[in-house]
Amino acid sequence: MKIGEFIRDSAGAESVRVEDKNLLSGGAIQENRALTVFIQGGEFNGEHELVMRAEAPATIAESRPLAQQFAILQAVKTAGVNVPKPLWYCGDNTVAGKPFYLMQRIYGEALGVRVTRMGKQPGIAAELAAELAKIHTITPPAESLSFLEDVRSTPAIDAIHKYQAYLDDLPEPHPPLEWTLRWLQINAPARDEIVLCHRDFRTGNYMVNDGKVSGILDWEFSGWGDPHEDVAWFCARCWRFSAPQMEAGGIATRDVFYDAYERASGRTLNRSLIHYWETMAHARWAVIALQQTMRHRSNVEPSLELALIGRRVAELEYECLKLTEAL
Amino acid sequence: MRCRPDALELLETAEKTLADDVAPDLSNRQRYNVALIASAMRIAQRELRGGVSAWPGELAALEKLYERNRKAEPSQALDLLNRRFAADLRTGRFDTKGLDRKAAIKILKEDVLARMAEDNPHYQK
Repeated sequence: MKIGEFIRDSAGAESVRVEDKNLLSGGAIQENRALTVFIQGGEFNGEHELVMRAEAPATIAESRPLAQQFAILQAVKTAGVNVPKPLWYCGDNTVAGKPFYLMQRIYGEALGVRVTRMGKQPGIAAELAAELAKIHTITPPAESLSFLEDVRSTPAIDAIHKYQAYLDDLPEPHPPLEWTLRWLQINAPARDEIVLCHRDFRTGNYMVNDGKVSGILDWEFSGWGDPHEDVAWFCARCWRFSAPQMEAGGIATRDVFYDAYERASGRTLNRSLIHYWETMAHARWAVIALQQTMRHRSNVEPSLELALIGRRVAELEYECLKLTEAL
Repeated sequence: MRCRPDALELLETAEKTLADDVAPDLSNRQRYNVALIASAMRIAQRELRGGVSAWPGELAALEKLYERNRKAEPSQALDLLNRRFAADLRTGRFDTKGLDRKAAIKILKEDVLARMAEDNPHYQK
């Protein structure tokens, strides 16, 4: 079966023609292709601009299988989050050689460097905060998300154990990250409210079009956690690209983002918890960066881009030391 | 004895050729790749100017912390001591205030700053 036939059957159409298979940029782990699909008959009759998201040759441990990403996308769409509309998932490898799903294509700029070069964008930051609040309305247990791992101890302690295990799988020791994880362990907050966290909610993972957010992308790391984790990830120094002085995602001040989130969620953000999770953010990104580099070093996916990610770790460790007051 | 130009000089020349002669005629996608290549070459040049580790004092500081005399050759000793240091940090050996904790923090700091100077000297601290 070919992709056209898969769409025809899924859409209940008479015939389908598929054009354009350009690889879209973005997504260091997943592969995204743009398709123009002409559907005749059925409820989807007409021309559609779609994106086909397929599993990349090598993934990292944190990355969820495509079927789960699709289910999360459906759940957040239902919760009213601004995301590309998910259409169909295909787990049959004979169709495209690997699992994939199709979603509506959205337009705009996503690249972090370009978004932050557009200058101060408090409106976008406020919109994003409201979107984040909507994501955080989803709480366990959620039937369609039963595959998400339960929080075992606390979100923080679970995360620390996971990252320590990831470090154990790496060939070299990383004392600055061990120091940071130890600090995180000693200062770990008690268990509190658990919500659905995006876990990669940052500049670079949303699209901006005509001064508006056109959609939140990349749901491959989502899971149950502390809402402060997403707020901190968005503000972390490592995701401000060309505008480090704009502490909320390189596009606004923290106050703008925090106020909009608090208004939309009805929650009061705890500033010291944000500091805590921001420390976790740099440790986590450093561990993921090391794993990304291993995809290159192990020859599974030789790539200069992945190789260079390994040399970003020092600046992440620097932020870790600063946040844990070792500097 | 090797002939000149040495590894550093070759990297410098290759990087300059790439930036000045190759990049201008390329598509955006290839220009991005050239920028990555140039970045990798600059990191390699900075690393080549250093020694076994980015911070020259790293091995001596670890040996002092663990009061050990060197038995292995420097890169092996550095690896072994760093493994021990990482494990001790995890189990909380440096949790309590004192000279060891102070020394541990100094090692972490000097190592990270030296690697940053190699990997991304333009980082806005």
